[in-house]
Amino acid sequence: MKKKVLAILLTSMMTIGLMTGCSSGTKDTSVETTPTEAAQKEEAAPTVATDSENTAADGQWEYKEATLTFLIDSDVSLDGFNAVAELAKEKLGITIETEMRAGGADGDNLVKTRLASGEMCDLMGYNSGSLLAALNPTEYFIDISQYDWSKKLDDTYVGTVSSENQVFGVPLGSAQAGAVLYNKEMYAKYNLQVPKTWDEFVANCKVLDQAGETAMIGAFGDSWTSQVLFLGDYYNVLAKDPNFTSGFEAGTTKYATSEAGLSSFKKYEDLNGLYNDDYLATTYDDACDMMASGQGAHWFMLTQALSNIYSLYDKETVDKIGVFGVPGADASNQGLTVWMPTSIYGNKNSDKYDDIVRFMEFYVSDEALNAMTEAQLPDGPFCVKGYQLPDNAYEAVKTDMQAYFDAGKTSTAQEFQTSVKGSNCPAICQEVASGQVTGEKAAKEYDEDCYKQAIQLGLDWKE
Amino acid sequence: MDKKKIYSLWFLVPATTIFAVFFIIPTLASLYFSLTVWNFDSSKFCGLDNFKMFFSENSLNIGIKNTLIYAVLTSGLKVILAFLIAVFLTSAIKTKHIIRSVVFFPNLISTIAIGITFAALLHPTKGIINSFLSIFGVGRIDWLGNVDIALFSIIGVDVWKGLSIATVIYIAGIQSIDKGYYEAAAIDGANGLNKLLHITLPLSRPSRNSVIILSFIGGIRSFDLIWAMTGGGPGFATDVLASIVYKQYAAGYYGLSTAGNVIMLVLIAILAFPLQKYLYSKETA
Amino acid sequence: MKKKKTTIIVGDIIGCAAALIIFVIPFLFMLMNSLKDRKEANQLNLSLPDNFLWSNYLEVIQTGNYQILTAFKNSGLITIGSVVVLIVTASMAGYIIQRRRDKVTGIVSVLIMVGLMIPPAILPTIWVLQKLHIYKSMFSIIMLEVALNTPFTVMLYRGFMSTIPIELEEAGYIDGCSKINMFTSIVFPLLKPVTATVIILNAVNIFNDFSNPLYFFPGKANSTVQLTLYNFMGQFSSSYNLLFADVIIIVVPMLILFLIFNKRIVDGMVAGAVKG
Repeated sequence: MKKKVLAILLTSMMTIGLMTGCSSGTKDTSVETTPTEAAQKEEAAPTVATDSENTAADGQWEYKEATLTFLIDSDVSLDGFNAVAELAKEKLGITIETEMRAGGADGDNLVKTRLASGEMCDLMGYNSGSLLAALNPTEYFIDISQYDWSKKLDDTYVGTVSSENQVFGVPLGSAQAGAVLYNKEMYAKYNLQVPKTWDEFVANCKVLDQAGETAMIGAFGDSWTSQVLFLGDYYNVLAKDPNFTSGFEAGTTKYATSEAGLSSFKKYEDLNGLYNDDYLATTYDDACDMMASGQGAHWFMLTQALSNIYSLYDKETVDKIGVFGVPGADASNQGLTVWMPTSIYGNKNSDKYDDIVRFMEFYVSDEALNAMTEAQLPDGPFCVKGYQLPDNAYEAVKTDMQAYFDAGKTSTAQEFQTSVKGSNCPAICQEVASGQVTGEKAAKEYDEDCYKQAIQLGLDWKE
Repeated sequence: MDKKKIYSLWFLVPATTIFAVFFIIPTLASLYFSLTVWNFDSSKFCGLDNFKMFFSENSLNIGIKNTLIYAVLTSGLKVILAFLIAVFLTSAIKTKHIIRSVVFFPNLISTIAIGITFAALLHPTKGIINSFLSIFGVGRIDWLGNVDIALFSIIGVDVWKGLSIATVIYIAGIQSIDKGYYEAAAIDGANGLNKLLHITLPLSRPSRNSVIILSFIGGIRSFDLIWAMTGGGPGFATDVLASIVYKQYAAGYYGLSTAGNVIMLVLIAILAFPLQKYLYSKETA
Repeated sequence: MKKKKTTIIVGDIIGCAAALIIFVIPFLFMLMNSLKDRKEANQLNLSLPDNFLWSNYLEVIQTGNYQILTAFKNSGLITIGSVVVLIVTASMAGYIIQRRRDKVTGIVSVLIMVGLMIPPAILPTIWVLQKLHIYKSMFSIIMLEVALNTPFTVMLYRGFMSTIPIELEEAGYIDGCSKINMFTSIVFPLLKPVTATVIILNAVNIFNDFSNPLYFFPGKANSTVQLTLYNFMGQFSSSYNLLFADVIIIVVPMLILFLIFNKRIVDGMVAGAVKG
């Protein structure tokens, strides 16, 4: 019963911020200067606009030595986090001991087991949204809504790390988008326009394919990457059926039987044969290399890939990559599906409660965010009110993505709006992407998969 | 001699105690939880719903089929290949110690590492196995991406990895065969093949039974290599029962996955107990 | 006679060649790639590295504040503890089960077979361990490894017992040997060859075990060697060169153990055969 209430509350909270997205931090372009990349990278002073005054200036933090353990999966880039942790050691006296775990199903397994058995670290990095909801967060995590500093967190974001009016997480990094990364040079070479609709997109792919280019990069050796098209299409689903989320949560709207939902799965069918030859063996990392070296035109991916490419290559390489949202049916309504960042949660049952809260407060301070952006450029807007994108952000982030935020054409992905996400989503998307099943069949399988999750969450779904 | 007195049951106590506390009791507890919707904190009784739901799992059919193929092929290949290798390595070959060591190497490496290595070797475009085959004009094979081939590729790797244990068991068995039999046979003028068929083959039966049982049961419940190499994919093409159960467990469906475990146990019991009984009845005869 | 010699040499050559191709190349592949830089290793080929980057190994050892050293200590203790207990308990059990065939040993046999079949239930096991207040202790992980490897080990002992003639025990019985002496001084020495097998197989198995320590022995201070692989496997740090360097570092102790026991297995078997 408790679970059910929780799920409903969670949904309603998530729906509040439905079409807004994170505070986008519109940049003050008038004073923009463009120093060389190298100088930016080496520059010690943060180049970040700090219009909101630091909440606590140097030396205002309480210094008390403590050690906190932190459990995080190895799929998350930690350059930014480590920079903050180093600063925290200096200013707060808090030493962070990071423990790595697997990502994906293995990682979920471990997290759930450790929570259930009461053996969680002091701090834990984990997804926001439906995956958090599946953890029964009120049992395990510190409610930060009681602290004033939590008010500076973006409202949409807060909706994805809350339940029963409690708030649990602070964002580990920036928000990002699930979108199409594309090779701008190739677009120029073949004189292509950024597509306004799905049909235009497929037409672009065909042009590239006939010219002998790899039109689509598939990295399904890591099955999770196959979900990005489906999940990143959610803006278009909502554009077609604004009530999709509530119907889905109630168990009445199904993917297989609703036109809006089904079209997401059908999109996979249009791309058969356009992928690189070894798309089922290619990994996320391989694909980053391909994108960086211009071996493929499009890739459905989270914009976190930009940071990965940046750390492997340089900013110049990243800036050759553009981003557009997954194209939909309506040329006049193009939007971007946004992912909330992974969050840091504090273990309620730890005996270092105060130190955990101290660290979390520090983590969202401007001081810490400055250190973070210096070590790692954002893949999208921050979820802290008033904190803006740095001037040296990737082109794709500050130009391409920003345009969607400025126009208000964004929506969060489904997993940040409902508590139900089928656990077999990656495998089902991989199955349809590799042409083993049709879009209809995949949609039906996903419905069944979600049904299982709903039962586990205690929702009253009819079979 | 008084067997009861010499072969005291007290000798069984340490092993059975540890086994009961750390294995049997948790297993029995899991039987109860298979009848509930369980999230560790609380469990809600739901009768046989979990079993119903497990049977409606859409990848179940392919899972059962794959499980059987996997178990039969891996154990069959290991039984045959390991026997031949063991005979070869117990012969007068000079380099047998080296070769024996080499055959054992794969066993020293963890499954994860093997999975990663072979995924690299079997890579459709960059992997050296395809590069090697292309010398003979064989076209590009997508070992792990092709739905019809993937399972067999994993079976091949499983055999590669598992041969060592089977071989060691065989060698232990063959070497303990009394040399007198061979000497007597030599006096009777038997050739190598005769000795192999009439002495080595029958007298290595106990070790062969171990190999069959171990690799068959191991094959039914094994999924770690599959998990490391394909994660059950592409899609659900290489899912086996154990990986389905594991995925449910990872998703937090504890009740559902324990139900899957119970079903697996039943399946194994149906297949393995008669097999074991049959093998051992011949052994004592 | 001469013909026989040629056959053996041909056998040697073919055997070595086959072993080389099938079993050595994958290891060469790991070794070569462990010495390359990330980009070169990503090409996944067997060529010699452009530069031999021995520093990869140093980097692996230093990762996570020398995490690998703690890991080696933990894995070593778990492995040694479990193997010792296993040898004692399983040899006794295998001996009795093979020699004394009645209802009780029949039931124990079946139970142990069940152990071979069912994968362990993780959460119920944690539940039991917490009730016993031994969760997260070295003792509990050792006992768990013992329990999980008991079926296989008992089977090995039981199988080997059936090749040992019963006459020796009958002679011992006539000489008035006690039941404990019968086992310790007559039977157990005869089990030496299979004990060597048991040691190497279980040691490798437990040392390479990934999931049980993960669930039953959590925490950074308790990390085991297999867990260190995760440092090099994520989306952001997946680097074949470091991963393979780590694999090779981890394999070294097992390789040494194997080289020691590989010879012992042979010696023990010859001795056993002569006495038998």
